[in-house]
Amino acid sequence: MQAKSSSFSCRTGSFFPRTVAPLTETLQMAVIATAVGALISLPLSFWAARSTNPNAFWRVLVRGILNVIRSVPDLLYAAVLVAMVGVGALPGILALLLFNVGIIVKLVSEAIDTNEDGPLEAGRAVGATQAKINRTLALPDAWPAFANQTLYVFELNVRASSVLGLVGAGGMGLLIDSVRTFYRYDQLSLIILEILIVVVVIDVASSAIRRRLV
Amino acid sequence: MSVIVVPARPRRPWLVAGWIAVTAVVVLAFWSIDINWVRLVDLPSEIVRYLFLMFGSPNWEKLPEALWQTWRSVEMAWVGTVLGILLATPLSLFAARGFGPAWLRSLLRGLFSLIRAVPEIIIAVVILSVTGLTPFTGALALAINGIGTLGKWGYEAVEGVSPGPIEAARAAGAGTSQVLRWGVWPQAAPTFWSFWLYRFEINVRSSAVLGLIGVGGIGDMLTSYTQYREWSTVGVLLIVVVIVTMLIDWASGVIRRRIMEGARARVLV
Repeated sequence: MQAKSSSFSCRTGSFFPRTVAPLTETLQMAVIATAVGALISLPLSFWAARSTNPNAFWRVLVRGILNVIRSVPDLLYAAVLVAMVGVGALPGILALLLFNVGIIVKLVSEAIDTNEDGPLEAGRAVGATQAKINRTLALPDAWPAFANQTLYVFELNVRASSVLGLVGAGGMGLLIDSVRTFYRYDQLSLIILEILIVVVVIDVASSAIRRRLV
Repeated sequence: MSVIVVPARPRRPWLVAGWIAVTAVVVLAFWSIDINWVRLVDLPSEIVRYLFLMFGSPNWEKLPEALWQTWRSVEMAWVGTVLGILLATPLSLFAARGFGPAWLRSLLRGLFSLIRAVPEIIIAVVILSVTGLTPFTGALALAINGIGTLGKWGYEAVEGVSPGPIEAARAAGAGTSQVLRWGVWPQAAPTFWSFWLYRFEINVRSSAVLGLIGVGGIGDMLTSYTQYREWSTVGVLLIVVVIVTMLIDWASGVIRRRIMEGARARVLV
Protein backbone atom coordinates (compact mmCIF):
# COMPACT_ATOMS: atom_id res chain seq x y z
CA MET A 1 0.00 0.00 0.00
CA GLN A 2 2.78 2.48 0.93
CA ALA A 3 4.66 1.83 -2.28
CA LYS A 4 1.50 2.35 -4.28
CA SER A 5 0.60 5.71 -2.79
CA SER A 6 4.10 7.12 -3.17
CA SER A 7 4.11 6.27 -6.87
CA PHE A 8 1.23 8.66 -7.53
CA SER A 9 2.30 11.75 -9.42
CA CYS A 10 1.91 15.05 -7.62
CA ARG A 11 -0.89 15.96 -10.04
CA THR A 12 -3.02 13.34 -8.36
CA GLY A 13 -2.76 15.22 -5.10
CA SER A 14 -4.90 17.98 -6.51
CA PHE A 15 -7.36 15.43 -7.86
CA PHE A 16 -8.38 14.09 -4.45
CA PRO A 17 -10.79 16.94 -3.55
CA ARG A 18 -12.74 16.23 -6.75
CA THR A 19 -13.35 12.64 -5.62
CA VAL A 20 -14.91 13.49 -2.24
CA ALA A 21 -18.39 14.46 -3.46
CA PRO A 22 -18.84 11.44 -5.80
CA LEU A 23 -17.58 9.09 -3.10
CA THR A 24 -20.04 10.56 -0.62
CA GLU A 25 -22.83 10.18 -3.15
CA THR A 26 -21.87 6.53 -3.67
CA LEU A 27 -22.19 5.88 0.06
CA GLN A 28 -25.46 7.83 0.29
CA MET A 29 -26.94 5.76 -2.54
CA ALA A 30 -25.86 2.51 -0.89
CA VAL A 31 -27.30 3.52 2.51
CA ILE A 32 -30.64 4.73 1.14
CA ALA A 33 -31.09 1.76 -1.18
CA THR A 34 -30.28 -0.70 1.62
CA ALA A 35 -32.64 0.97 4.11
CA VAL A 36 -35.61 1.25 1.74
CA GLY A 37 -34.90 -2.18 0.27
CA ALA A 38 -34.86 -3.77 3.72
CA LEU A 39 -38.16 -2.10 4.64
CA ILE A 40 -39.86 -3.36 1.48
CA SER A 41 -38.30 -6.82 1.81
CA LEU A 42 -39.41 -7.62 5.35
CA PRO A 43 -43.15 -8.09 4.67
CA LEU A 44 -42.43 -9.66 1.27
CA SER A 45 -40.12 -12.23 2.88
CA PHE A 46 -42.96 -13.42 5.11
CA TRP A 47 -45.16 -13.51 2.06
CA ALA A 48 -42.70 -15.67 0.16
CA ALA A 49 -42.01 -18.22 2.92
CA ARG A 50 -44.05 -21.39 3.24
CA SER A 51 -44.32 -21.42 7.03
CA THR A 52 -45.64 -17.86 7.26
CA ASN A 53 -47.87 -17.88 4.19
CA PRO A 54 -50.01 -20.98 3.71
CA ASN A 55 -51.53 -19.53 0.54
CA ALA A 56 -49.58 -21.26 -2.24
CA PHE A 57 -50.89 -19.05 -5.06
CA TRP A 58 -49.63 -15.75 -3.63
CA ARG A 59 -46.41 -17.33 -2.43
CA VAL A 60 -45.54 -18.68 -5.88
CA LEU A 61 -46.57 -15.40 -7.51
CA VAL A 62 -44.28 -13.29 -5.27
CA ARG A 63 -41.40 -15.72 -5.72
CA GLY A 64 -41.87 -15.87 -9.47
CA ILE A 65 -41.89 -12.10 -9.91
CA LEU A 66 -38.79 -11.75 -7.74
CA ASN A 67 -37.00 -14.51 -9.67
CA VAL A 68 -37.58 -12.56 -12.88
CA ILE A 69 -36.44 -9.30 -11.27
CA ARG A 70 -33.32 -10.97 -9.87
CA SER A 71 -32.17 -12.30 -13.23
CA VAL A 72 -31.41 -8.82 -14.60
CA PRO A 73 -28.13 -7.29 -13.31
CA ASP A 74 -28.37 -3.94 -11.49
CA LEU A 75 -26.32 -2.06 -14.08
CA LEU A 76 -28.77 -2.98 -16.84
CA TYR A 77 -31.61 -1.63 -14.71
CA ALA A 78 -29.57 1.52 -14.15
CA ALA A 79 -28.95 1.96 -17.89
CA VAL A 80 -32.68 1.76 -18.63
CA LEU A 81 -33.75 3.85 -15.61
CA VAL A 82 -31.34 6.66 -16.51
CA ALA A 83 -33.16 7.00 -19.82
CA MET A 84 -36.48 7.06 -17.93
CA VAL A 85 -35.91 9.42 -15.00
CA GLY A 86 -32.76 11.27 -16.08
CA VAL A 87 -29.16 11.26 -14.90
CA GLY A 88 -28.28 11.26 -11.20
CA ALA A 89 -28.52 9.32 -7.98
CA LEU A 90 -32.24 8.58 -8.27
CA PRO A 91 -32.06 5.97 -11.09
CA GLY A 92 -29.06 4.44 -9.30
CA ILE A 93 -31.01 4.05 -6.07
CA LEU A 94 -33.99 2.59 -7.92
CA ALA A 95 -31.76 0.07 -9.72
CA LEU A 96 -30.17 -0.98 -6.42
CA LEU A 97 -33.63 -1.26 -4.84
CA LEU A 98 -34.89 -3.73 -7.43
CA PHE A 99 -31.78 -5.81 -7.01
CA ASN A 100 -31.85 -5.64 -3.17
CA VAL A 101 -35.46 -6.69 -2.75
CA GLY A 102 -34.81 -9.67 -5.02
CA ILE A 103 -31.87 -10.87 -2.96
CA ILE A 104 -33.09 -10.11 0.58
CA VAL A 105 -36.51 -11.71 0.07
CA LYS A 106 -34.96 -14.86 -1.39
CA LEU A 107 -32.44 -15.34 1.41
CA VAL A 108 -34.71 -14.30 4.30
CA SER A 109 -37.70 -16.35 3.14
CA GLU A 110 -35.41 -19.40 2.91
CA ALA A 111 -34.21 -18.68 6.45
CA ILE A 112 -37.80 -18.38 7.71
CA ASP A 113 -38.58 -21.77 6.16
CA THR A 114 -35.67 -23.42 7.94
CA ASN A 115 -36.61 -21.94 11.35
CA GLU A 116 -38.24 -24.10 14.02
CA ASP A 117 -41.88 -24.93 13.33
CA GLY A 118 -42.70 -25.55 17.02
CA PRO A 119 -43.57 -21.99 18.07
CA LEU A 120 -45.75 -21.51 14.97
CA GLU A 121 -47.62 -24.70 15.72
CA ALA A 122 -48.14 -23.54 19.31
CA GLY A 123 -49.57 -20.32 17.97
CA ARG A 124 -51.98 -22.20 15.71
CA ALA A 125 -52.94 -24.44 18.65
CA VAL A 126 -54.07 -21.49 20.77
CA GLY A 127 -56.07 -20.21 17.83
CA ALA A 128 -54.02 -17.20 16.73
CA THR A 129 -54.52 -15.79 13.24
CA GLN A 130 -51.69 -16.17 10.71
CA ALA A 131 -50.93 -12.45 10.98
CA LYS A 132 -50.58 -12.70 14.76
CA ILE A 133 -48.41 -15.81 14.49
CA ASN A 134 -46.12 -14.08 12.00
CA ARG A 135 -45.75 -10.95 14.08
CA THR A 136 -45.24 -12.47 17.50
CA LEU A 137 -43.63 -15.83 16.75
CA ALA A 138 -42.00 -15.89 13.31
CA LEU A 139 -40.64 -12.34 13.35
CA PRO A 140 -38.32 -12.70 16.40
CA ASP A 141 -36.86 -15.83 14.82
CA ALA A 142 -36.34 -14.10 11.50
CA TRP A 143 -34.53 -11.02 12.86
CA PRO A 144 -30.98 -12.42 12.90
CA ALA A 145 -31.24 -13.69 9.31
CA PHE A 146 -32.83 -10.44 8.20
CA ALA A 147 -30.15 -8.26 9.80
CA ASN A 148 -27.44 -10.53 8.43
CA GLN A 149 -28.70 -10.44 4.84
CA THR A 150 -29.31 -6.70 4.99
CA LEU A 151 -25.68 -6.21 5.98
CA TYR A 152 -24.56 -8.50 3.16
CA VAL A 153 -26.65 -6.56 0.66
CA PHE A 154 -25.19 -3.30 1.98
CA GLU A 155 -21.72 -4.61 1.12
CA LEU A 156 -22.93 -5.50 -2.38
CA ASN A 157 -24.53 -2.07 -2.75
CA VAL A 158 -21.33 -0.22 -1.94
CA ARG A 159 -19.53 -2.19 -4.66
CA ALA A 160 -22.36 -1.70 -7.14
CA SER A 161 -23.01 1.98 -6.46
CA SER A 162 -19.34 2.75 -7.08
CA VAL A 163 -19.75 1.74 -10.73
CA LEU A 164 -23.40 2.63 -11.48
CA GLY A 165 -22.21 6.07 -12.62
CA LEU A 166 -20.64 4.45 -15.70
CA VAL A 167 -24.14 4.48 -17.19
CA GLY A 168 -24.94 7.88 -15.66
CA ALA A 169 -26.59 6.81 -12.42
CA GLY A 170 -24.62 8.94 -9.96
CA GLY A 171 -21.72 8.33 -7.59
CA MET A 172 -18.11 7.42 -8.24
CA GLY A 173 -18.79 5.90 -11.67
CA LEU A 174 -19.42 9.26 -13.31
CA LEU A 175 -15.90 10.27 -12.37
CA ILE A 176 -14.50 6.95 -13.63
CA ASP A 177 -16.19 7.61 -16.96
CA SER A 178 -14.79 11.13 -17.34
CA VAL A 179 -11.28 10.08 -16.30
CA ARG A 180 -11.44 7.12 -18.67
CA THR A 181 -12.17 9.25 -21.73
CA PHE A 182 -9.02 11.34 -21.06
CA TYR A 183 -6.83 8.30 -20.31
CA ARG A 184 -5.86 9.76 -16.93
CA TYR A 185 -4.74 6.50 -15.39
CA ASP A 186 -3.05 8.25 -12.47
CA GLN A 187 -6.45 9.62 -11.48
CA LEU A 188 -8.19 6.31 -12.20
CA SER A 189 -5.79 4.51 -9.86
CA LEU A 190 -6.67 6.95 -7.06
CA ILE A 191 -10.39 6.30 -7.65
CA ILE A 192 -9.86 2.53 -7.57
CA LEU A 193 -7.76 2.83 -4.42
CA GLU A 194 -10.51 4.85 -2.72
CA ILE A 195 -13.18 2.31 -3.72
CA LEU A 196 -10.94 -0.49 -2.45
CA ILE A 197 -10.41 1.20 0.92
CA VAL A 198 -14.11 1.96 1.38
CA VAL A 199 -15.15 -1.58 0.40
CA VAL A 200 -12.58 -3.20 2.69
CA VAL A 201 -13.46 -0.94 5.65
CA ILE A 202 -17.18 -1.68 5.23
CA ASP A 203 -16.54 -5.42 4.88
CA VAL A 204 -14.47 -5.44 8.09
CA ALA A 205 -17.06 -3.35 9.95
CA SER A 206 -19.97 -5.51 8.82
CA SER A 207 -18.21 -8.75 9.74
CA ALA A 208 -17.57 -7.26 13.20
CA ILE A 209 -21.30 -6.45 13.49
CA ARG A 210 -22.16 -9.92 12.22
CA ARG A 211 -20.17 -11.55 15.00
CA ARG A 212 -22.24 -9.59 17.55
CA LEU A 213 -25.47 -10.68 15.87
CA VAL A 214 -24.79 -14.40 15.77
CA MET B 1 -51.06 -16.35 48.29
CA SER B 2 -47.66 -15.41 47.07
CA VAL B 3 -47.14 -12.51 44.73
CA ILE B 4 -45.87 -13.51 41.30
CA VAL B 5 -42.70 -11.58 40.56
CA VAL B 6 -42.20 -10.97 36.87
CA PRO B 7 -38.48 -10.75 36.04
CA ALA B 8 -37.44 -7.51 34.38
CA ARG B 9 -36.90 -7.59 30.64
CA PRO B 10 -33.21 -7.93 29.82
CA ARG B 11 -31.78 -4.61 28.65
CA ARG B 12 -29.47 -4.63 25.69
CA PRO B 13 -27.97 -1.17 25.57
CA TRP B 14 -25.68 -1.83 22.59
CA LEU B 15 -28.62 -3.01 20.52
CA VAL B 16 -30.47 0.24 21.21
CA ALA B 17 -27.32 2.23 20.46
CA GLY B 18 -26.93 0.29 17.22
CA TRP B 19 -30.49 1.09 16.14
CA ILE B 20 -29.97 4.77 16.94
CA ALA B 21 -26.72 4.83 14.96
CA VAL B 22 -28.27 3.08 11.95
CA THR B 23 -31.28 5.40 11.98
CA ALA B 24 -29.00 8.44 12.23
CA VAL B 25 -26.90 7.31 9.26
CA VAL B 26 -29.99 6.64 7.12
CA VAL B 27 -31.59 9.98 8.01
CA LEU B 28 -28.32 11.77 7.29
CA ALA B 29 -28.04 10.05 3.89
CA PHE B 30 -31.60 11.00 2.96
CA TRP B 31 -31.13 14.56 4.16
CA SER B 32 -27.80 15.19 2.44
CA ILE B 33 -28.23 13.44 -0.91
CA ASP B 34 -28.75 15.65 -3.94
CA ILE B 35 -32.00 14.31 -5.36
CA ASN B 36 -34.93 16.24 -6.72
CA TRP B 37 -37.60 14.49 -4.62
CA VAL B 38 -40.39 16.20 -6.56
CA ARG B 39 -39.62 13.80 -9.41
CA LEU B 40 -40.73 10.91 -7.22
CA VAL B 41 -44.35 12.11 -7.34
CA ASP B 42 -44.92 11.25 -11.00
CA LEU B 43 -42.46 8.34 -10.97
CA PRO B 44 -45.05 5.52 -10.62
CA SER B 45 -47.09 6.76 -13.57
CA GLU B 46 -43.90 7.27 -15.59
CA ILE B 47 -42.74 3.72 -14.88
CA VAL B 48 -46.11 2.30 -15.92
CA ARG B 49 -45.92 4.34 -19.12
CA TYR B 50 -42.43 3.06 -19.93
CA LEU B 51 -43.37 -0.53 -19.09
CA PHE B 52 -46.18 -0.21 -21.59
CA LEU B 53 -43.80 1.27 -24.18
CA MET B 54 -41.37 -1.61 -23.62
CA PHE B 55 -43.69 -4.58 -23.31
CA GLY B 56 -46.90 -3.30 -24.89
CA SER B 57 -45.82 -4.25 -28.39
CA PRO B 58 -42.26 -5.66 -28.32
CA ASN B 59 -40.36 -5.29 -31.58
CA TRP B 60 -39.88 -9.00 -32.37
CA GLU B 61 -38.05 -8.19 -35.62
CA LYS B 62 -34.99 -7.48 -33.48
CA LEU B 63 -35.14 -10.90 -31.84
CA PRO B 64 -32.55 -12.63 -34.10
CA GLU B 65 -30.04 -9.83 -33.50
CA ALA B 66 -30.77 -9.91 -29.77
CA LEU B 67 -30.21 -13.68 -29.65
CA TRP B 68 -26.98 -13.33 -31.65
CA GLN B 69 -25.67 -10.68 -29.24
CA THR B 70 -26.71 -12.82 -26.28
CA TRP B 71 -24.72 -15.66 -27.79
CA ARG B 72 -21.70 -13.32 -27.91
CA SER B 73 -22.22 -12.53 -24.24
CA VAL B 74 -22.47 -16.20 -23.31
CA GLU B 75 -19.30 -16.92 -25.31
CA MET B 76 -17.58 -14.13 -23.39
CA ALA B 77 -18.76 -15.65 -20.13
CA TRP B 78 -17.61 -19.13 -21.16
CA VAL B 79 -14.12 -18.04 -22.27
CA GLY B 80 -13.85 -15.90 -19.14
CA THR B 81 -14.79 -18.86 -16.95
CA VAL B 82 -12.33 -21.28 -18.60
CA LEU B 83 -9.51 -18.72 -18.48
CA GLY B 84 -10.35 -17.94 -14.87
CA ILE B 85 -10.23 -21.63 -13.96
CA LEU B 86 -6.85 -22.07 -15.68
CA LEU B 87 -5.42 -19.05 -13.85
CA ALA B 88 -7.04 -19.61 -10.46
CA THR B 89 -6.61 -23.36 -9.91
CA PRO B 90 -2.80 -23.45 -9.58
CA LEU B 91 -2.90 -20.30 -7.45
CA SER B 92 -5.56 -21.75 -5.17
CA LEU B 93 -3.40 -24.84 -4.60
CA PHE B 94 -0.49 -22.69 -3.46
CA ALA B 95 -2.85 -20.78 -1.17
CA ALA B 96 -3.99 -23.97 0.60
CA ARG B 97 -2.50 -24.90 3.95
CA GLY B 98 0.06 -27.66 3.58
CA PHE B 99 0.87 -27.07 -0.10
CA GLY B 100 2.49 -23.65 -0.23
CA PRO B 101 4.96 -21.78 1.99
CA ALA B 102 3.32 -19.50 4.58
CA TRP B 103 4.47 -16.21 3.01
CA LEU B 104 3.11 -17.20 -0.40
CA ARG B 105 -0.14 -18.35 1.18
CA SER B 106 -0.89 -15.03 2.85
CA LEU B 107 0.24 -13.13 -0.26
CA LEU B 108 -2.15 -15.06 -2.50
CA ARG B 109 -5.04 -14.79 -0.03
CA GLY B 110 -4.49 -11.04 0.10
CA LEU B 111 -4.51 -10.93 -3.70
CA PHE B 112 -7.76 -12.91 -3.84
CA SER B 113 -9.57 -10.57 -1.44
CA LEU B 114 -8.14 -7.54 -3.21
CA ILE B 115 -9.55 -8.76 -6.53
CA ARG B 116 -12.89 -9.58 -4.92
CA ALA B 117 -13.17 -6.00 -3.68
CA VAL B 118 -12.93 -4.49 -7.19
CA PRO B 119 -16.03 -4.64 -9.42
CA GLU B 120 -15.24 -6.47 -12.69
CA ILE B 121 -16.32 -3.50 -14.78
CA ILE B 122 -13.44 -1.46 -13.31
CA ILE B 123 -11.01 -4.25 -14.20
CA ALA B 124 -12.40 -4.09 -17.74
CA VAL B 125 -11.92 -0.30 -17.84
CA VAL B 126 -8.30 -0.72 -16.74
CA ILE B 127 -7.35 -3.45 -19.22
CA LEU B 128 -9.22 -2.13 -22.26
CA SER B 129 -6.46 0.45 -22.80
CA VAL B 130 -4.21 -2.49 -23.60
CA THR B 131 -6.60 -4.89 -25.32
CA GLY B 132 -9.11 -2.49 -26.89
CA LEU B 133 -12.90 -2.71 -27.01
CA THR B 134 -13.27 -6.36 -27.95
CA PRO B 135 -15.20 -9.27 -26.44
CA PHE B 136 -11.82 -10.68 -25.43
CA THR B 137 -11.40 -7.71 -23.05
CA GLY B 138 -14.66 -8.71 -21.44
CA ALA B 139 -13.57 -12.33 -21.13
CA LEU B 140 -10.21 -11.32 -19.67
CA ALA B 141 -11.87 -9.02 -17.12
CA LEU B 142 -14.17 -11.88 -16.09
CA ALA B 143 -11.17 -14.22 -15.82
CA ILE B 144 -9.20 -11.81 -13.62
CA ASN B 145 -12.25 -11.16 -11.47
CA GLY B 146 -12.79 -14.91 -11.30
CA ILE B 147 -9.36 -15.43 -9.74
CA GLY B 148 -10.69 -13.68 -6.62
CA THR B 149 -13.67 -15.97 -6.05
CA LEU B 150 -12.36 -19.19 -7.63
CA GLY B 151 -9.09 -18.88 -5.74
CA LYS B 152 -10.85 -18.50 -2.39
CA TRP B 153 -13.31 -21.33 -2.96
CA GLY B 154 -10.45 -23.46 -4.31
CA TYR B 155 -8.18 -23.31 -1.29
CA GLU B 156 -11.17 -23.75 1.02
CA ALA B 157 -12.09 -26.92 -0.88
CA VAL B 158 -8.52 -28.24 -0.77
CA GLU B 159 -8.28 -27.56 2.97
CA GLY B 160 -11.65 -29.16 3.54
CA VAL B 161 -10.70 -32.65 2.36
CA SER B 162 -10.14 -35.36 4.92
CA PRO B 163 -6.42 -35.99 5.63
CA GLY B 164 -6.60 -39.80 5.41
CA PRO B 165 -6.11 -40.27 1.64
CA ILE B 166 -3.35 -37.60 1.63
CA GLU B 167 -1.51 -39.47 4.36
CA ALA B 168 -1.99 -42.73 2.49
CA ALA B 169 -0.57 -41.21 -0.72
CA ARG B 170 2.41 -39.81 1.21
CA ALA B 171 2.98 -43.18 2.87
CA ALA B 172 3.09 -44.80 -0.55
CA GLY B 173 5.86 -42.36 -1.51
CA ALA B 174 3.93 -39.81 -3.55
CA GLY B 175 5.39 -36.37 -4.31
CA THR B 176 3.37 -33.16 -3.95
CA SER B 177 1.82 -33.37 -7.41
CA GLN B 178 0.88 -37.01 -6.93
CA VAL B 179 -0.61 -36.22 -3.50
CA LEU B 180 -2.73 -33.55 -5.18
CA ARG B 181 -3.75 -35.92 -7.96
CA TRP B 182 -4.57 -38.98 -5.83
CA GLY B 183 -5.09 -37.62 -2.32
CA VAL B 184 -6.90 -34.33 -2.87
CA TRP B 185 -8.52 -34.22 -6.32
CA PRO B 186 -10.81 -37.29 -6.01
CA GLN B 187 -12.33 -35.80 -2.86
CA ALA B 188 -12.44 -32.15 -3.91
CA ALA B 189 -13.53 -32.67 -7.55
CA PRO B 190 -17.32 -32.42 -7.01
CA THR B 191 -16.88 -29.18 -5.07
CA PHE B 192 -14.60 -27.77 -7.75
CA TRP B 193 -16.95 -28.66 -10.61
CA SER B 194 -19.86 -27.24 -8.68
CA PHE B 195 -18.30 -23.84 -8.04
CA TRP B 196 -16.87 -23.67 -11.57
CA LEU B 197 -20.41 -23.97 -12.87
CA TYR B 198 -21.62 -21.43 -10.34
CA ARG B 199 -18.92 -19.02 -11.51
CA PHE B 200 -20.17 -19.49 -15.08
CA GLU B 201 -23.63 -18.40 -13.92
CA ILE B 202 -22.12 -15.28 -12.34
CA ASN B 203 -20.14 -14.57 -15.52
CA VAL B 204 -23.24 -14.80 -17.71
CA ARG B 205 -24.78 -12.00 -15.66
CA SER B 206 -21.57 -9.99 -15.63
CA SER B 207 -20.94 -10.34 -19.36
CA ALA B 208 -24.24 -8.56 -20.01
CA VAL B 209 -23.07 -5.75 -17.73
CA LEU B 210 -19.63 -5.49 -19.35
CA GLY B 211 -21.33 -4.77 -22.67
CA LEU B 212 -22.33 -1.41 -21.23
CA ILE B 213 -18.79 -0.07 -21.58
CA GLY B 214 -18.70 -1.20 -25.20
CA VAL B 215 -17.01 -4.61 -25.30
CA GLY B 216 -19.88 -6.08 -27.29
CA GLY B 217 -22.69 -8.48 -26.50
CA ILE B 218 -26.18 -7.90 -25.17
CA GLY B 219 -25.22 -5.02 -22.86
CA ASP B 220 -23.79 -3.10 -25.79
CA MET B 221 -26.99 -3.53 -27.76
CA LEU B 222 -29.07 -2.49 -24.74
CA THR B 223 -27.11 0.75 -24.27
CA SER B 224 -27.44 1.79 -27.89
CA TYR B 225 -31.17 1.10 -28.14
CA THR B 226 -31.77 2.82 -24.79
CA GLN B 227 -29.98 5.88 -26.14
CA TYR B 228 -32.06 5.83 -29.34
CA ARG B 229 -35.08 5.48 -27.00
CA GLU B 230 -36.33 2.51 -29.05
CA TRP B 231 -38.32 1.16 -26.14
CA SER B 232 -40.00 -1.68 -28.00
CA THR B 233 -36.55 -3.15 -28.76
CA VAL B 234 -35.33 -2.56 -25.19
CA GLY B 235 -38.34 -4.61 -24.05
CA VAL B 236 -37.29 -7.53 -26.30
CA LEU B 237 -33.72 -7.32 -24.98
CA LEU B 238 -34.85 -7.43 -21.36
CA ILE B 239 -37.11 -10.42 -22.06
CA VAL B 240 -34.18 -12.23 -23.74
CA VAL B 241 -31.83 -11.42 -20.83
CA VAL B 242 -34.34 -12.73 -18.27
CA ILE B 243 -35.10 -15.95 -20.17
CA VAL B 244 -31.48 -16.78 -21.04
CA THR B 245 -30.24 -16.05 -17.50
CA MET B 246 -32.96 -18.18 -15.93
CA LEU B 247 -32.37 -21.01 -18.40
CA ILE B 248 -28.62 -21.08 -17.75
CA ASP B 249 -29.15 -20.87 -13.98
CA TRP B 250 -31.65 -23.73 -14.14
CA ALA B 251 -29.42 -25.96 -16.31
CA SER B 252 -26.36 -25.23 -14.24
CA GLY B 253 -28.30 -25.86 -11.04
CA VAL B 254 -29.49 -29.25 -12.30
CA ILE B 255 -25.93 -30.27 -13.24
CA ARG B 256 -24.55 -29.02 -9.91
CA ARG B 257 -27.08 -30.99 -7.91
CA ARG B 258 -26.29 -34.05 -10.03
CA ILE B 259 -22.57 -33.64 -9.30
CA MET B 260 -22.94 -32.97 -5.58
CA GLU B 261 -25.63 -35.53 -4.78
CA GLY B 262 -24.93 -38.16 -7.41
CA ALA B 263 -27.53 -39.89 -9.55
CA ARG B 264 -30.89 -40.73 -8.09
CA ALA B 265 -30.89 -44.35 -7.09
CA ARG B 266 -33.25 -46.29 -9.32
CA VAL B 267 -35.44 -48.63 -7.35
CA LEU B 268 -35.59 -52.00 -9.09
CA VAL B 269 -39.01 -53.55 -8.74
